[in-house]
Amino acid sequence: MDMEEEYDPAYNEDEGEDITQEDAWTVISAYFDEKGLVRQQLDSFDEFIQNTMQEIVDESADIEIRPESQHNPGHQNDFAETIYKIKFGQIFLSKPMMTESDGETATLFPKAARLRNLTYSAPLYADVSKRVIKKGHDGEEVTETQDFNKVFIGKVPIMLRSSYCTLYQNNEKDLTELGECPYDQGGYFIINGSEKVLIAQEKMSTNHVYVFKKRQPNKYAYVGEVRSMAESQNRPPSTMFVRMLSRTSAKGGSSGQYIRATLPYIRTEIPIIIVFRALGFVADKDILEHICYDFADTQMMELLRPSLEEAFVIQNQQVALDYIGKRGATVGVTREKRIKYAKEILQKEMLPHVGVGEYCETKKAYYFGYIIHRLLLCAIGRRAEDDRDHYGNKRMDLAGPLLGGLFRMLFRKLTRDVRGYVQKCVDNGKDVNLQFAIKAKTITSGLKYSLATGNWGQANAAGTRAGVSQVLNRLTYASTLSHLRRLNSPIGREGKLAKPRQLHNSQWGMMCPAETPEGQACGLVKNLALMVYVTVGSAAYPILEFLEEWGTENFEEISPAVITQATKIFVNGCWVGIHRDPDMLVRTLRRLRRRVDVNTEVGVVRDIRLKELRIYTDYGRCSRPLFIVEKQRLLIRRKDIEALQQKESPEDGGWHDLVAKGFIEYIDTEEEETTMISMTINDLRSARENPEEAYSDTYTHCEIHPSLILGVCASIIPFPDHNQSPRNTYQSAMGKQAMGIYVTNFQFRMDTLAYVLYYPQKPLVTTRAMEHLHFRQLPAGINAIVAIACYSGYNQEDSVIMNQSSIDRGFFRSLFFRSYRDEEKKMGTLVKEDFGRPDRANTMGMRHGSYDKLDDDGLAPPGTRCSGEDVIIGKTTPIAQDDAGQGQAASRYTRRDHSTSLRHSETGMVDQVLLTTNADGLRFVKVRVRSVRIPQIGDKFSSRHGQKGTVGMTYTQEDMPWTVEVAAHMGKEGDATPFTDVTVDNISKALHKCGYQMRGFETMYNGHTGRRLTAMIFLGPTYYQRLKHMVDDKIHSRGRGPVQILTRQPAEGRSRDGGLRFGEMERDCMIAHGAAHFLKERLFDQSDAYRVHVCEKCGLVAIANLKKNSFECRSCKNKTDIVQVHIPYACKLLFQELMSMAIAPRMLTKDVKLAKDLKKRGA
Amino acid sequence: MEKVSVWDLPDVPEGQLPSHIQLQRTRVHCNPDAPTHTENVQYSGAYSSVGVDNSLQLEQFRKNFRVEVIRLGKEDMEFDMIGVDPSLANAFRRILIAELPTMAIEKVLIANNTSVVQDEVLSHRLGLIPINADPRLFDYKSENDDPKENNTIVFKLHVRCERGGPRLTVKSDQLKWLPNGSEFSLETSAAKSTAKPKTYTTFHTSQETLHDFSKKPIAPCHPDIILSKLGPGQEIELEAHAVKGMGKTHAKWSPVATAWYRMLPEVVLLQQVEDERAEKLVKTCPVNVFDIEDVGKGKKRAIVARPRGCTLCRECIREDEFKQDVALRRVKDHFIFTIESTGALPPEVLFTEAVKILEDKCERVITELS
Repeated sequence: MDMEEEYDPAYNEDEGEDITQEDAWTVISAYFDEKGLVRQQLDSFDEFIQNTMQEIVDESADIEIRPESQHNPGHQNDFAETIYKIKFGQIFLSKPMMTESDGETATLFPKAARLRNLTYSAPLYADVSKRVIKKGHDGEEVTETQDFNKVFIGKVPIMLRSSYCTLYQNNEKDLTELGECPYDQGGYFIINGSEKVLIAQEKMSTNHVYVFKKRQPNKYAYVGEVRSMAESQNRPPSTMFVRMLSRTSAKGGSSGQYIRATLPYIRTEIPIIIVFRALGFVADKDILEHICYDFADTQMMELLRPSLEEAFVIQNQQVALDYIGKRGATVGVTREKRIKYAKEILQKEMLPHVGVGEYCETKKAYYFGYIIHRLLLCAIGRRAEDDRDHYGNKRMDLAGPLLGGLFRMLFRKLTRDVRGYVQKCVDNGKDVNLQFAIKAKTITSGLKYSLATGNWGQANAAGTRAGVSQVLNRLTYASTLSHLRRLNSPIGREGKLAKPRQLHNSQWGMMCPAETPEGQACGLVKNLALMVYVTVGSAAYPILEFLEEWGTENFEEISPAVITQATKIFVNGCWVGIHRDPDMLVRTLRRLRRRVDVNTEVGVVRDIRLKELRIYTDYGRCSRPLFIVEKQRLLIRRKDIEALQQKESPEDGGWHDLVAKGFIEYIDTEEEETTMISMTINDLRSARENPEEAYSDTYTHCEIHPSLILGVCASIIPFPDHNQSPRNTYQSAMGKQAMGIYVTNFQFRMDTLAYVLYYPQKPLVTTRAMEHLHFRQLPAGINAIVAIACYSGYNQEDSVIMNQSSIDRGFFRSLFFRSYRDEEKKMGTLVKEDFGRPDRANTMGMRHGSYDKLDDDGLAPPGTRCSGEDVIIGKTTPIAQDDAGQGQAASRYTRRDHSTSLRHSETGMVDQVLLTTNADGLRFVKVRVRSVRIPQIGDKFSSRHGQKGTVGMTYTQEDMPWTVEVAAHMGKEGDATPFTDVTVDNISKALHKCGYQMRGFETMYNGHTGRRLTAMIFLGPTYYQRLKHMVDDKIHSRGRGPVQILTRQPAEGRSRDGGLRFGEMERDCMIAHGAAHFLKERLFDQSDAYRVHVCEKCGLVAIANLKKNSFECRSCKNKTDIVQVHIPYACKLLFQELMSMAIAPRMLTKDVKLAKDLKKRGA
Repeated sequence: MEKVSVWDLPDVPEGQLPSHIQLQRTRVHCNPDAPTHTENVQYSGAYSSVGVDNSLQLEQFRKNFRVEVIRLGKEDMEFDMIGVDPSLANAFRRILIAELPTMAIEKVLIANNTSVVQDEVLSHRLGLIPINADPRLFDYKSENDDPKENNTIVFKLHVRCERGGPRLTVKSDQLKWLPNGSEFSLETSAAKSTAKPKTYTTFHTSQETLHDFSKKPIAPCHPDIILSKLGPGQEIELEAHAVKGMGKTHAKWSPVATAWYRMLPEVVLLQQVEDERAEKLVKTCPVNVFDIEDVGKGKKRAIVARPRGCTLCRECIREDEFKQDVALRRVKDHFIFTIESTGALPPEVLFTEAVKILEDKCERVITELS
């Protein structure tokens, strides 16, 4: 077969050496050099900018406006009809720009956007043409066309480092000069100065038939479902269910196993046969042909019998349509209308991805039949039910599709507004001015709103998703990276169902198995593995053309009977035809894909058992690169690696070249099921050397490296394969709280919060993946010498003893930055707030902090030491003199204080002050305060293995235990990449060579007594992280303090100097103890004790004037019988609220008084 | 060990400890799992039952106590201290680290700092620089004292990286000693005074004229400690005030990088190890404690050649093979002491100073008691 020859690249056995696992790292380096770490974000956004946006504009129909005929007596129109047509054409996007309030426009750089709280967005222009068609009374048409080039239609936020970003393809030096961190990967947006990430959203894939078995007892035995959505359609998917009833239905009648379908907009289920008849397939034979293809299959035919019998009464398309129409939304209309309605539903609403045009009935019937076929296969037991959690059935919405949906909606709104405006103009006989008609604000603020708030969709509209856009975490570099690669499943967090949260086999290599939060979102929030590629989608058209060319038969050409012998071909879930030589077809397709003649991200899945070939070109599939294996041998050879190592410029060779040469291909989750992947290169070699013992003799691919199944945070863990698995999960969460250097340009940034370590160190023990995560350049920890010992007991229960002398010398010291911001807001047109030093003489409501730190401009200058509540930004608002009217005293004040003071629990030095203008041209200031955080008792630290602890004690050097000698180490990094063959013995030997005890045990001396410790102590350097939780940020106590205005109960929270809650469990405890007085003191005296005077006659609150000693209840005309009552203020409040609802809460004190009097008399 | 009835044991000779008790008293036994008998028996009557007096006798101590200097360098020394209790050796160690005073920068007055290193970080780095000045010539400066020539050393640092020039590394040798005290004037006094403007220090005489600073000017011990790096246009101008202090307040005042001791190792071959086993034993030790001796006739025997080098890695007794042959011990009253000075004072002076401090302490106790 010459096909075979061509397919096999002419290769002979000695075409060069095999590559080693070490060489694979060269390939991995090539990948990261070319792609960076947030490729999914960038690719997705680029696709949106370069294609999706134009497509959305193109797909919107022309705006056509006909004037509502206004009768104008005595005026004869020249034309019978005038039609206005507006069409949007080519769009243009410029580089990110910024227009100052004085009208000056300039390119915007991210640094400026971040500092000045601007939005990093680029103006979008479109060519718009207006046609006016005037029809004369004689039927003659006059067309006037007017073209408007590059009309501004809105501003689109630009993702950093995407192809439209100003930083695109800048080199390291340029980036540094622009004030950017060269290690920053981009992939986020800047909205009003804050960095926003779009979190990828997971969803079920559409246009896919799922069959599920229902847990009995249930009305249904089996359910087949398809969530059908046509491409480029902005509607919620239309779901179709096909259900098979249980043998004994709920009502007891042992009816047959009817199969019924749910159609959109139809209230009840329709028997499937009726649907077929409505589609125009009336004869039983025709229908059965579409479902089970093979009449010899008696088992399946038997299952269809009840359904056929059920629909026996309806033997005609019209009747069937009427049957459906009757169950629709139309009530009380004619039969014709009902039939038309039913037809419409079948055409437009049922299975829209198959087609919404006319004459789709054949295709739809085949597809509908296929759904039933799948359902029956499952019912017979020939095929297992589908797996909802299989990752091949999931799609991810990244920045591109998310923005695409939003943009489509906003663009529709824009065109709708244009239509409304033009219509009004036309109706009023005014000239149409397109510049006014197009409101650029629709798109600008619409996109900005969603990105700023995370509410995906229009403001105050229902069905919006919250939390799609989040503020980029900048605590440490790893946390930033991990945030940019995060994925969310929008399933209710309350759901008890464990299945969607569990790690699924198909997530291998796609999702990090360790990195997920604990608690509510466990398993729902995931992180991408290091080498995942999320498809951006490509056109299905070339594939369809290819299939046509290579002998695919479509439905018009075939009879249903041949389907059993051939393979069904699906493209993006849509059945396009059958093919009789799938082997050849698949081989050709794969070959073309490896040559990049077909897009590399196309997925080719051949399901031999089902006789199906599924081809996917849609967006949001997870795929990952793998080495291609042929004849148990990698296609990539040693010489290719060498060429890669020796390449000079980044342009030639590199990763894309490896893909183009067919050494590596991308395999998506579904296609992965049809491959045989060897774990290591060595497995492949041993399989070749002794084939008898080999696990498989049909390897098709090979992992590039097994450690790439991990995500960003888990890749930092040394030897994760030697850890208990939850430890890896804990560390993945903790690594995000470690401080280090989060970006190199932190001095130029004004982040609200930032932690920077004085002396970060690169870890002595690294993994290979860390190299690509820049963990060496931006580390987050220190190699500390750690001993495992009992020493004085201050290190019990997850705590550590730290050497105070080391702390003195700078061990784990860190800087803490907090930025405060304020602006001179405009109030109305004339009144404006002012920065400046407030003057006690004329300013109302001044704080009790010190104003001395302020300069004349109202800002504390850099280098000022300030402590809690000191004012660092002085700002005043003028008070309008006329409404100040609080008598003569008020006239003294002309201004009100609106200053910003330092948080009361913090101190620091003013580090940097930025005074600039914001987008509205208002003066705008940011002040950064810096303080030093020295490790102290209570601060939190952790190793890289989920071992966290707080400092329990600090001992000076002389009190610490010491060992004989500290020898020099090897001066190189240890490799702790998982799944390699480093063993305990290897390490022991290396330790020994350096003069250490083999297993790390050393004898030590007690620092207090100077004697030997009676134990060998395990000791060694361990990379430790300082976590952001520090006692100084948590310490809190209160005796007296602020209360809430409404209830007069103590305020809540440390930041408000609030009280410590005596909660209901504490209350229960006191009750159990019988500590009644203590309880009363806590809940009443120390909380909201209050005193009211009550009229004894009516039991309501009376008027009391304690100064004059006069008491009165006016309604009772009672001035004598008044008592004083102590109640909680909250109780008084309740009584007043009840009174406002016309309920009189009376406090009856008589009985109490009587009892008291009796007691007195008795005593 | 073989089981023997108590009655069959030989009588213990009067006035002499049985050998195994003597061994427990004077040696730490380093077993494969953990060291044992680390404690010292202090009670004078501990062995009175066998007629041995365990009380501490001054005469005895005088006779036994020895100090042998093994190595003496400019910055470090090693000596053996023989015949003392660990409590005494540890007292010296602790005093060396925490209670010997030195001079270190405590206050930094920053006039200008446009470098990337923050003021606090720069100050902290300055504080850790060892200063080559004899602390014995200075007084402690208390909170209320004025900074004077007898309690403060002032340094100046003024560096600027010119625009267009290459980047600059600021090193400790750029700290300039100001023997006349601070040059920064107090802002408040500058307005009214006519004569010498008041500065942050009140020096009466130049420190150069005092003592022998003229011969040996005060400077950091090491000229090449990197303080900061400056980019073009950046500048640092500051004054650093060094005062006398102790290591227990802050590690920067500690005169030693570290001071430590170890007990003298004792490696004993309990049985003869010969031929191949001898060679194997020699090989197991990573620091070559053992050697081979020819006993003639082609026979070889293992000997303990360099017991001092033993690091107690216990490689030799890790495997069962030599467990019965080798005993690893430490001599309890023999300390190999090492002092690493930071540079202000030579190590031998540090030790004598430490002795003086301990003496003072003892005197204080005696006066308190009497």
